[in-house]
Amino acid sequence: MQEFLQHTLNGLSFGSIYALVALGYTMVYGILSMINFAHSEIYMMGAFVTFYMARFMGMETPSPINFTLGVLAGALGAGIIGYFVEKFAYKPLRNSPKMNVLITAIGVSILFQFGGQIIFGADPKRFPNLIEDEVLFYIAEIPVHLIDILIYVVSFVSLGILSFIIYRTQPGRAMRAVSTRPDMTPLMGINNNKIISTTFIIGSALAGVAAVLVSIKYPKIDPMMGVKIGTSSFVAAVFGGIGSLHGAVIGGFLLGVGEYYLIGYGASTYKDALSFLILIIVLLYKPTGLFGTTRKEKI
Amino acid sequence: MKKYLIFLVSVIVLGVVLNFFMNSYIQAVFISFMINAIMALSLNFITGLADQFSLGQAGLMAIGAYTSAVLNKEFFNNDWTMIPIGVLAGAFMAAGAGYLISLPSFRLKGDYLAIVTLGMAEIVRVVLLNWNHVGGPRGYNAITKFPEFYFSFGFAVLLLTFTFMTMYRLKFSWFGRNLWAINEDDIAAEVMGLNVAKTKRRAFVISSFFAGLGGGFYSHHLGYISPGSFGFIISVQILIVAVLGGLGSLSGSIVAALILTFLPEALRSVQTGSLDLRMIIYPILLIVMMIVRPQGLFGRKEISLSHFGLTKFKARGSNE
Repeated sequence: MQEFLQHTLNGLSFGSIYALVALGYTMVYGILSMINFAHSEIYMMGAFVTFYMARFMGMETPSPINFTLGVLAGALGAGIIGYFVEKFAYKPLRNSPKMNVLITAIGVSILFQFGGQIIFGADPKRFPNLIEDEVLFYIAEIPVHLIDILIYVVSFVSLGILSFIIYRTQPGRAMRAVSTRPDMTPLMGINNNKIISTTFIIGSALAGVAAVLVSIKYPKIDPMMGVKIGTSSFVAAVFGGIGSLHGAVIGGFLLGVGEYYLIGYGASTYKDALSFLILIIVLLYKPTGLFGTTRKEKI
Repeated sequence: MKKYLIFLVSVIVLGVVLNFFMNSYIQAVFISFMINAIMALSLNFITGLADQFSLGQAGLMAIGAYTSAVLNKEFFNNDWTMIPIGVLAGAFMAAGAGYLISLPSFRLKGDYLAIVTLGMAEIVRVVLLNWNHVGGPRGYNAITKFPEFYFSFGFAVLLLTFTFMTMYRLKFSWFGRNLWAINEDDIAAEVMGLNVAKTKRRAFVISSFFAGLGGGFYSHHLGYISPGSFGFIISVQILIVAVLGGLGSLSGSIVAALILTFLPEALRSVQTGSLDLRMIIYPILLIVMMIVRPQGLFGRKEISLSHFGLTKFKARGSNE
């Protein structure tokens, strides 16, 4: 029972990370119907931006201010990188076939992975300890760490901000409009390109936040760190129904908990295959995921 | 008849030159060019002709490679004359796996095939990593090789010719035209009475067969395989070859394989330390190609001997 609770807590904390990253996938898919393979590398870049900022600004000591600044720097850095990736790699292909965009996304992803290995070095780096981890309290003798609580809090604050932007502001309304009818929105005075850029920035910023949180919990970063989280989060997004924001969050939590049960009860070496197995099963029986909607194709 | 003769003579001349006047390094590079060409052709068949994006060629290659290697070691007592049978068995195994993957994949449209095939390749890799009998993460070594270069060369040429000719004939058959129709507009193709899902499935099984063929030969060429040699990056490299040659152009794939196998070898002297220049050049090439020339070197057209003024045969391309 105790073990079970421990896995659940770990799974939920990782699940909120998956949810943050999955939102980036699902937002981009909703608005451009493309799988942004480079999203996992934007996640990785978020961690590296904070790493270098902390190093050069001398903020490697644990303190709440450094933690806040670190998270914000990760979000900002990832957002800027996401903006430029969209501008230079995807925008020129706005009217080309989907496959070309997908191939470009793979190219960008590989470029970041191996460019990162050359610029940052392939060996893992130690992420600065931005906040002192301590055991806050116990639930049924399970220690609850401060960092886990912070992961929950920061994730939920980010999700709150996101849902405020999407459902309560004018740009958010425009985003929803573009994802429904991109051909009609220009007639309503919406600049599609601007909205797409905004979507990329927001999605990338969420990935940056997730990257900083993960790096504080597991303080080892390297240029390939995005691959595993990226694939799991993508599966979470498809599981929840790609294009649906709620679906991505719930899918993220379910996948996080599921993976930790699998690790906890043996079979940890098959963890990487599990997410894809789930994906294939989902696609077989419910291709639209949990909350996805089917759009009728008009001829 | 004349063109077959020209082909045969040039292959023999090439073989003789390579066998007697070149060192084993260049010989090995030549063989790996042919393996790359087979892999690029197998991807081109499904992605270029039928417009179904597969990212799992490395997984199918792994199935072919392990089947062939294990079969040769466990059942044929490392007898090199049995290599062709092992390679063929690997190809059939990969085709079977391809059929299983195709069952869920083609119920959906769009990018899902890319994800499912990517996932399948990953599952194959993880299973191989955990399978101790075939070495697990240490890999499977001491696989039988051909004793002489000319056997190896001959077999590689045979496989490449078989792959190319089968696909070339298929491209201009009724089946190829069905694929072409799906590529252009699958709804219209369905309206015309074409069973779209079944046709895509067949194309994927054919593609898997040749990926397994390439993988099977790969294991006997190198003599050592490990799950790490079939990662996602290999699928991407195959994709780059097919895209550079032009999706839909079979001869383009061979030309691109030639370029992309020899160019990195030529650039090897430029490299410094552990920096792998290829992995920077490849993605940049891919991105720039997609923006500037998405149709690749040859688009959908085929190179024909008539381009060189050798025969009277007309080039068969997309727009004639």
